[in-house]
Amino acid sequence: MSDLLVVEDLTVTFSTARGPVDVVKDVSFTVGRDETVGIVGESGSGKSMTSLAIMGLLPKGAAARGTIRLDGTDVLGASPRELRQLRGDRMSMIFQDPLSSLNPYYTVGLQIEELYRAHRGGSRAAAREVVVGALRQVGLPDPERRAGHYPHQFSGGQRQRIMIAMALVCSPSLLIADEPTTALDVTVQAQILRLLADLREQSGMGMVFITHDLAVISSIATRVLVMRRGEQVEYGTAEQVFAEPRHDYTRMLLDSIPRIDDPLDEVSA
Amino acid sequence: MARYLAGRAAGVVLILFLVCLFTFIIFFTLSPDPAVMICGKTCTPERIDQIRGVLGLDEPFPAQFLGFFAGIFAGRDYGEGANLVHCAAPCLGYSFQTNQSVWDMVVERLPVSATVAIGAAVLWLFIGIVAGLLSAVKEGTWWDRAAMGLALGGSSIPNYVLALALQYVLVVQLQVLPFPQAVPFSDDPALWFQSYLMPWLVLATGYACLYARLTRANVIDTLAENFMRTARSKGLSPALTLRRHALRPALTPITTIFGMDFAALLGGALITETVFGLNGVGKMAADSIAKNDQPVIMAVTLLAAFFVVIGNVVVDLVYTRLDPRVRITAR
Amino acid sequence: MTLLRAKDLTKRFVSRGPLGAKAAFTAVDRVSFDVRLGETLAVVGESGSGKSTTARMIAKLLEPSEGTLEFEGEDVTRAKGAALARFRGNVQVVFQDPFSSLNPRHTVERILMAPLVYQGIAPHGSRRAHAKELMERVGLDPDHSLRYPAQFSGGQAQRIGIARALAVNPKLVICDEAVSALDVSVQAQVIELLRRLQHESGFSYVFIAHDLAVVRQIAQRVAVMSKGRIVELGTTAQVFGDPRDEYTRTLLAAIPRIDPEWERRRRERA
Ligand SMILES: Nc1ncnc2c1ncn2[C@@H]1O[C@H](COP(=O)(O)OP(=O)(O)OP(=O)(O)O)[C@@H](O)[C@H]1O
Ligand SMILES: Nc1ncnc2c1ncn2[C@@H]1O[C@H](COP(=O)(O)OP(=O)(O)OP(=O)(O)O)[C@@H](O)[C@H]1O
Ligand SMILES: [Mg+2]
Ligand SMILES: [Mg+2]
Repeated sequence: MSDLLVVEDLTVTFSTARGPVDVVKDVSFTVGRDETVGIVGESGSGKSMTSLAIMGLLPKGAAARGTIRLDGTDVLGASPRELRQLRGDRMSMIFQDPLSSLNPYYTVGLQIEELYRAHRGGSRAAAREVVVGALRQVGLPDPERRAGHYPHQFSGGQRQRIMIAMALVCSPSLLIADEPTTALDVTVQAQILRLLADLREQSGMGMVFITHDLAVISSIATRVLVMRRGEQVEYGTAEQVFAEPRHDYTRMLLDSIPRIDDPLDEVSA
Repeated sequence: MARYLAGRAAGVVLILFLVCLFTFIIFFTLSPDPAVMICGKTCTPERIDQIRGVLGLDEPFPAQFLGFFAGIFAGRDYGEGANLVHCAAPCLGYSFQTNQSVWDMVVERLPVSATVAIGAAVLWLFIGIVAGLLSAVKEGTWWDRAAMGLALGGSSIPNYVLALALQYVLVVQLQVLPFPQAVPFSDDPALWFQSYLMPWLVLATGYACLYARLTRANVIDTLAENFMRTARSKGLSPALTLRRHALRPALTPITTIFGMDFAALLGGALITETVFGLNGVGKMAADSIAKNDQPVIMAVTLLAAFFVVIGNVVVDLVYTRLDPRVRITAR
Repeated sequence: MTLLRAKDLTKRFVSRGPLGAKAAFTAVDRVSFDVRLGETLAVVGESGSGKSTTARMIAKLLEPSEGTLEFEGEDVTRAKGAALARFRGNVQVVFQDPFSSLNPRHTVERILMAPLVYQGIAPHGSRRAHAKELMERVGLDPDHSLRYPAQFSGGQAQRIGIARALAVNPKLVICDEAVSALDVSVQAQVIELLRRLQHESGFSYVFIAHDLAVVRQIAQRVAVMSKGRIVELGTTAQVFGDPRDEYTRTLLAAIPRIDPEWERRRRERA
């Protein structure tokens, strides 16, 4: 079976006042069906830009080169119309910074509902039910009532779960999750990771999972891509990257993880 | 909510009272003696004293002011005995020039000003928002540059120049429009429309240019927001993305500005009404100032203040409905 | 010495239901704690348990429904005018959502200098140099001082927020998930900076975080929140070593770990 997502030699270039700047350089990886590729790396290394390029949502001033194929469709060469049909339905994305990624003027229920109805149609009432179900699935308490609330009325972690519910509502074949659990406590995080793993197994959803939490990556990813300054420094199976890292940067990263069992030093005296 | 409204209402009353007080001080105590004005050229000291008595000008200032202020709510009597004139509430006194009740004058002219204001507002909102939106969506193209250049030029033409030019071209030269007259709509709809068309155009031009630039700037800012990226990620149609996600956030701040502009216009468009000879509140203000007709000047000042203050409250209330983040919640 | 004392802080949010019915939701329920001079108090707990709401109340960005707040022995619950301005100079916040808390129309330099301007403080050297120095301290490229927030990555934006909070030398910094978007090495660098400032200038921190390993490293005391209440408050060693509350135990048990087998193999190779 062919791969779900193929990224080959992806380069993202910003045209700035001081000339072009490559923020992603020659990144290549593939995501198979029911596979999760974890992307880790330095802050500012181009992880979000890589995922935005896959969605065809790069900001103004940025351009992508290379190849991105989703299920055989050439994403970089797709017409706006084709892209629209892919987005939200076949591939969806959970954005970093949920507060600014939700429209403050509309209830969260409506924001998820419009996505569902754009691809699946149906009555508002039917969509409403799906939305409430999606919100319940991510562990939002009292979803019937809270669907009628506005983004600012939720906590950081609740907004993040709303973004997750939104991304999952059309059961996409590819989910790109950009730091989807940073604002969640470890118990809710575990619940969300379990939900994503279930979806992967049941519907064969492929996933690109970006996070700084290496322990999370080690538990969810089948393959891991390590990025630094726009470059791909290491790419391999999770086991290989965590147990036998080849690159110094990866080793340094793994050494810097604060560990819950480390002995405590003077501060807590 | 109820407490909030009560608080705002108290604020409105206080502000209007202060406006009343200051205009009264300015127009009644600092300007030429009204009695002399009314009396005219052939005048005797006795006659002046008599007028003073009738108007209550011989009383101390607080009593005069209270008489005026109470009159607005309760009506008042001028003179006594056979000369007694009752001025029903809301009493704003009588014009020194025509002896007409000032309140009646206001009631008669307000519809004209309102017609001018409403028609112009519809025009400028429509033109301004559509042009601004198109410019924002086509940012950087020739259309954007042309529209914005025009808007910049348009907002710098003074109203009277535009009014006179339009009048000269359309009425005098081409004769496609009649000279404006304030006919009621029910009498002759066609003439009504033709009469108001030029004032509408003149007033709307400046505002439309301003609103086009405001709309463009707001829409461009909104399009760069992260939530617009989310909207695009959903695969919605471009029209829906723009209409639902960009327009409302971009236009909400404009409602505030619009409310204030519109309220100010209701208080009379001085220049436009005067140039076109429309008998609205604005022309009344211009005439009364020219003739130092103090009761009328006071009335138009109060009226303008009233609209601005009420407009402010309405704008705030509307804003809390439009922006969920500032909805008033009772504690 | 106690720097800040929160007593019975309560916040109820009233929202209108679909039928216009009003429902009050108690997000924070009679929460009391002290922050001592020069200490780090961590607040951990369930998502939606009221941590950010508490943070906003002690930063006086949100009016409590009930309860009192003391800063340096002075009741500031209803502080206004000069007292409030003084409080704002002493207490800074790093917000949970980096992009929403930075003005998109201002350059980084302007954002970093704004608190100095409000507080009327003149930095040593020029403003520009000061902004660049702050950027360098949090690991940002000082050459980017004229960029706008949207031109940064999530973790970079978060560091702008941290730099802004440190700009005025506050006594208390409230960090709401301030390091959650940083990779572990930059995170370590920022935590090191926070600690150094604590040593040098005696800063106190209220540190809200979900990463318990980070909390354990940086905090002297930990408060655990669940459903609007503090269910446990104690020294770091006690909370992590001998948790008393059921919820705390669940939390500690759920911490994700790297496969110990992988860890062992990696250590062996090194
Ligand atoms: N509009 C822009 N102009 C120029 N450079 C930009 C712009 N937007 C982002 N960048 C740069 O692109 C680089 C990659 O950003 P990206 O958001 O992909 O990082 P990231 O790996 O997601 O980091 P983080 O973990 O902090 O979110 C960053 O160094 C950032 O400064
Ligand atoms: N403006 C508001 N109106 C109504 N409810 C609100 C409002 N703000 C917050 N809440 C609710 O109050 C509770 C506490 O929110 P808070 O943001 O303090 O949580 P938190 O502990 O910071 O969670 P997280 O870790 O997810 O950020 C949540 O259930 C949230 O939905
Ligand atoms: Mg990112
Ligand atoms: Mg929070």
